[in-house]
Amino acid sequence: MRTLRRWIERPEGRALFALLFILAIGCVFNAHDAFFRWGTHRDMLRQVSVYGILACGMTLVIVTGGIDLSVGSVLGLCAVVFAQLSLHRGQPAVLAVPAVLAVGAAAGLASGAAVARFRIQPFIATLAMMVFARGLAKWLSGGEKVSRALQQPDGSFAYLDLPGAFERLDAKVWGGNVAVVTLVFLGCVALSWVVLTRLRYGRYLYATGGNEEAARLSGVPVRRAKLLAYGLSGVFSAVAGICQAAQEQQGDPEAGVSYELTAIAIAVIGGNSLAGGRGGVGLTLLGAMTIGYLEKILSINAVAESSRLMLTGAIILAAVLLQRRRVA
Amino acid sequence: MTTPRTPFALLLTLALASNAFPKDAGKWVVGMSQCNLGEPWRVQMNADVRRAAAAHPELEVVFKDAQNDTLAQRAQIEEFVNSGVDLLIVSPKEAAPLTPPVAEAYRRGIPVIVLDRRVLGSDYTEFIGANNRLIGKAAGAWALRRLAELPAVRKGARARVVELQGLMTSIPAQDRGAGFHEALKGAPVDIVYTADMKWLEPQARLEMESALAVQPRIDLVFAHNDPGAHGAYLAAQAAGRERDIIFVGIDALAQEGQVYVRQGVLAATFEYPTGGREAVEDALKILRHESVEKEVTLRSRVFTPENVAGGGEWLR
Repeated sequence: MRTLRRWIERPEGRALFALLFILAIGCVFNAHDAFFRWGTHRDMLRQVSVYGILACGMTLVIVTGGIDLSVGSVLGLCAVVFAQLSLHRGQPAVLAVPAVLAVGAAAGLASGAAVARFRIQPFIATLAMMVFARGLAKWLSGGEKVSRALQQPDGSFAYLDLPGAFERLDAKVWGGNVAVVTLVFLGCVALSWVVLTRLRYGRYLYATGGNEEAARLSGVPVRRAKLLAYGLSGVFSAVAGICQAAQEQQGDPEAGVSYELTAIAIAVIGGNSLAGGRGGVGLTLLGAMTIGYLEKILSINAVAESSRLMLTGAIILAAVLLQRRRVA
Repeated sequence: MTTPRTPFALLLTLALASNAFPKDAGKWVVGMSQCNLGEPWRVQMNADVRRAAAAHPELEVVFKDAQNDTLAQRAQIEEFVNSGVDLLIVSPKEAAPLTPPVAEAYRRGIPVIVLDRRVLGSDYTEFIGANNRLIGKAAGAWALRRLAELPAVRKGARARVVELQGLMTSIPAQDRGAGFHEALKGAPVDIVYTADMKWLEPQARLEMESALAVQPRIDLVFAHNDPGAHGAYLAAQAAGRERDIIFVGIDALAQEGQVYVRQGVLAATFEYPTGGREAVEDALKILRHESVEKEVTLRSRVFTPENVAGGGEWLR
């Protein structure tokens, strides 16, 4: 009993509790046992992966007390660039992937520089990047999806083969039991975990979010910490964009609209504080699964859209309330 | 305070004024107000207008994109009227709020062609659009014929259909769904799973995964647009069940739905024509004071693997 209470008092324990609450709902409304089959869980993990990858970057930024609204647009931009490089220009993945990661890093560093160097509020700086990156994605793609159909000068269409990188990323491994994008997501979680808990810069991120002034006075390189957080958020957005393009078999300049809100919701439902200085990527992983299962349960039960939205709102609120530290 | 800004503002005004409408003598200027270029189908509509107009050097088309904002589109129509265009093509975002500016332009003597979506009343020159309900109905009738050929259905089993709807608060999704259901009325078909995928491919894939998890047998998927049908196909492919299911979509864009048919992803896609070419042709007629019909319903084609190379088949 005491162990249980100790668990509930930790943020991880409360996030786990919220997840178990959602899982219990799934066990009751199991849609003719569909919830008890592994395929349902595998599909949920695949579907939540892109959001989860964005949420990893979002967590790093939130820990510094900031917010990154540009992740969805940078995802769209990177999906377009990746599709153009590997689908239309036939570049191998070893060139296309680093190039796209560089695009994401550049976008993130630009936001980071605006926040750290020019002291623009994160909300405004990343809002600007959100609008700009979406525009850039539309400009590069001419407003059309970068797909396997390539229009020729005479108006006819040539049909391109799907690059191997697309197929490998959208595949399933281990006897078809785990989607590759899920492994990419878990890799991003691991990387964020290492940054936050094993590197000196991780402590700088927490210190910056906890009390920026105090951190600066005690010698923490606040500016560089922020640059790192936003830069990595851009890199994660690029990873998510590559996964999105591979799963859609195209680069859609409209991809990722409103994904930033889901990424923020994942981080917050996991128990990360928007005030900064606290939290961790383990919480984000639990938050991603909570959101993913919620959507999956509503979907396998074929709940109508109107009820879905109302239920999602109510359940998110209930999950967050469950997590609140008990008033002694 | 005004001193440093005034010359700049003056320059800006001059730049805008000189650039507004390069009206050559003997050239007609057509204003094209598009409600949202965020959709590939509407990008295609503008491309069709541009291509058709390129064949007529006496026409110059000025494009504006309202980015899915009703009030922005209203302002753009007013701008066109004030700058004195010779004709307006408007593809309105929604009927009621855009009726007054369209009617105002029409009453001031500017011919207005309304494309795709309607406005209220009759204060416009011509309406050109396709009929979503008829297209949905044609898709339903086609689906029935294909389902009747299935061995299980021949033996008397009821066919099992998944419907992936467009955004159900939008009129096109409502009409496509209603037409499809109308065709299926009384037939031995059960719609075993319905979900609103909001026109979005990732959402369609997610919903189809759920349908596959719950339904052991699915004969046909009807999606309200081609990206939705493609997303459903990818989900079925991941589950190894894509060969057991017939996929049907709507829109048939050359670079999208028609490609999916060529690749064997879709068994059929039903064209939802943009009317861009027809609008330009009728614009020329109106400007030459020839008569046009007040209501033009665009014909639609069905594309299947058998006929896609030959440009599809016209629906009756």
